[in-house]
Amino acid sequence: MIKTQSLSKTYGQFTAADDINFEVNPGEIFGLLGPNGAGKSTTINCISGLLKPTLGEVYINGFSVLSDAIKAKASLGLVPQDLALYEDLSGQENLNFWGQAYGLTGDQLKQRIKIVLEQVGLTSRAKDLVNTYSGGMKRRLNFACAILHEPKALLLDEPTVGVDPQSREHLLTAVEALKNQGTAVLYTTHYMEEAERLCDRIAIIDHGKIIAMGTVADLRNQMGEKDLITLQGDFSEVDEATLEDFEVIEWQDQTIRFMAENAAAKLSDILSRFKPGQIKQTAVQQASLESLFIKLTGRELRD
Amino acid sequence: MVFLSMPSTVASIRLKRIFREKWGLFSWLAIPLVIMFLMSLIAGVGGGKLTGRLLVTDYDESTVSQFVTGGFAQGPLAEIFTVKQVEENEGKDIMDAGDASAWIIIEKGFGDAFINNHNTTIKLVKNPAQSILPQMVETSMKLLIEAASYIQVLFSKELSVLKPMLEQQKFNDADLVVLTLGIKKQIERLEETIFPPQLELIKQEVENTETEQTNISFGFLMFPGAVFMALIFSANSMAVNIWDDASNGVIPRLSSTPSALSAYFNGQVLAAFGIFSLIVLVLGLFGVLYFEIPVQKLPVMMLWLVFSGLVIYMLFCLITLLMPTTKSANIVVNATTFPLLMLGGSFFPMETMPGWLATIGQFLPNGYLLKGLKDWLVRSEPMAEVMLWPLIMGLVMFVVLWAVNRVLINRLIHKV
Repeated sequence: MIKTQSLSKTYGQFTAADDINFEVNPGEIFGLLGPNGAGKSTTINCISGLLKPTLGEVYINGFSVLSDAIKAKASLGLVPQDLALYEDLSGQENLNFWGQAYGLTGDQLKQRIKIVLEQVGLTSRAKDLVNTYSGGMKRRLNFACAILHEPKALLLDEPTVGVDPQSREHLLTAVEALKNQGTAVLYTTHYMEEAERLCDRIAIIDHGKIIAMGTVADLRNQMGEKDLITLQGDFSEVDEATLEDFEVIEWQDQTIRFMAENAAAKLSDILSRFKPGQIKQTAVQQASLESLFIKLTGRELRD
Repeated sequence: MVFLSMPSTVASIRLKRIFREKWGLFSWLAIPLVIMFLMSLIAGVGGGKLTGRLLVTDYDESTVSQFVTGGFAQGPLAEIFTVKQVEENEGKDIMDAGDASAWIIIEKGFGDAFINNHNTTIKLVKNPAQSILPQMVETSMKLLIEAASYIQVLFSKELSVLKPMLEQQKFNDADLVVLTLGIKKQIERLEETIFPPQLELIKQEVENTETEQTNISFGFLMFPGAVFMALIFSANSMAVNIWDDASNGVIPRLSSTPSALSAYFNGQVLAAFGIFSLIVLVLGLFGVLYFEIPVQKLPVMMLWLVFSGLVIYMLFCLITLLMPTTKSANIVVNATTFPLLMLGGSFFPMETMPGWLATIGQFLPNGYLLKGLKDWLVRSEPMAEVMLWPLIMGLVMFVVLWAVNRVLINRLIHKV
């Protein structure tokens, strides 16, 4: 339903997206994970037609976004990272506007507005101005605007940023419902637990490239049984040979990250290799999507 | 086909938002009217007709002095000035109180001095709080004095015949016949020099004389410019709103829908058309009621003003869309607005500007369109003569800017 082929986007010497290839099938939620500046938004913008790829192709519902844009866009819903609403209009008026932008009119539009308001739990506030809504309600309305026309493909660019737990639950439930109805969903998020809960498959993107892709189980397997150990302190005078028998991911003056099997048992040995006072904090993370992410990118997801 | 409704959807949303911000709409209408009223007060009138008071102290009371002051009591000047004969003390008090535009003092012996070709003085005191009316008095006096000096040179012989008659106040028929024939002969002699038949005078009856000079008041002179001011204010605001829509994510999101951004832009133009129509209707009716603009001129005036508003809106959209941020769009559009208002005849009628400044103003888009309208509306000049070229130029500008703006709006998404 959503397909990218060798998608690349460059700005002069800078490559924001580099040879991105993936496919999102109907009824599938595909997660795109990566730290800020990794190329997620560039990829989403190329798919939604906001940016023209430097190379490659994007297909939505079989239509090329480049050469058959209107048909491709008619099958697509976009929930942008930043709110795209008229705050001085009511929720219903906003939905009416976006519905017409997607070509809905008359009774069909009215019916759809009623349904999506129920889906996002805003029926009782439909006639209130958006500037009276809470942040979470605005996010829900932002989401509702994208699903009015029952798109076959839906792009969600970090839809739950700054959302209260109640609104987040509303949104996640609505996304799961869309998946069950057969919608292909491309979902970017900073929240690993959201990705683990929602996504059937995940691609990890960094420096514009996909560095890992697969189901959550596949990706976990890539970590094996190794745990992630993070030491914080002053390591400016520590020799890197200190941890030569471990798989070191990151070595900086204040932070060292490395992988170790059965980390808990080896911790006292590891700590004894450092002088007293050098280590200020120690963290052990069991094999997870988050630890895999750090292993692959050397960065935390929220960096 | 359903996407053809997008411009009307965008327009209705824009209009809804404008009407919700009632103070914004109100200010577009009210500010120009307030400025027009204040400017009329500054010009020394109460906002209606341009009228003033002229004081005359005539110590000479001769036929010649009455001829000089009589010029203000007849013809077009009489429509403007109320002439009041005053004693010197009374004149001083009235001028000190600022209750007259100017005061003419004619000394005793003025008539004799004129007849005998001697130097003499007319004293003119102007009210410094006023500008136009005292200037009119001064200019009229200069013209009269110039005319008098020509009479002295050309008819010195006839004046010498007239002098004893005036002194004795005795006019016999024979002397008058001699005097008249002398003047006639002199005019015939000068005719070939003064009136060489190089121009052919074609008399043409003017059909509509309802808005002759007698109806021209300062307020009426300002009125079309004030309507332009309302159009410029609203065009400014609506053009910058496009950048707001880009900043708040609406335009980028719209570009991911099947609706083209050009349809969005056309919707904005449609909304601007609606707002301009409303402004012009309200202010046009005000003009009919207050300035007695002939109702039959209202439709053309309204169409012209709405058209002018759209041309100005396109210009502001161009500036807005060329800017890199909302803030810079705001700053530059505002920085453009005020020179357009000042020089284009909205704050001050071009008639009151120095010639060179008025020339600049007439070459600005709003000034050019305003001049065409005023020449027809205020001066009753033929429509085809004064409005055709501004119409053509305005149409060309509108079409070119519309085409450019449709392209530029697609680039806006890359700036946010």
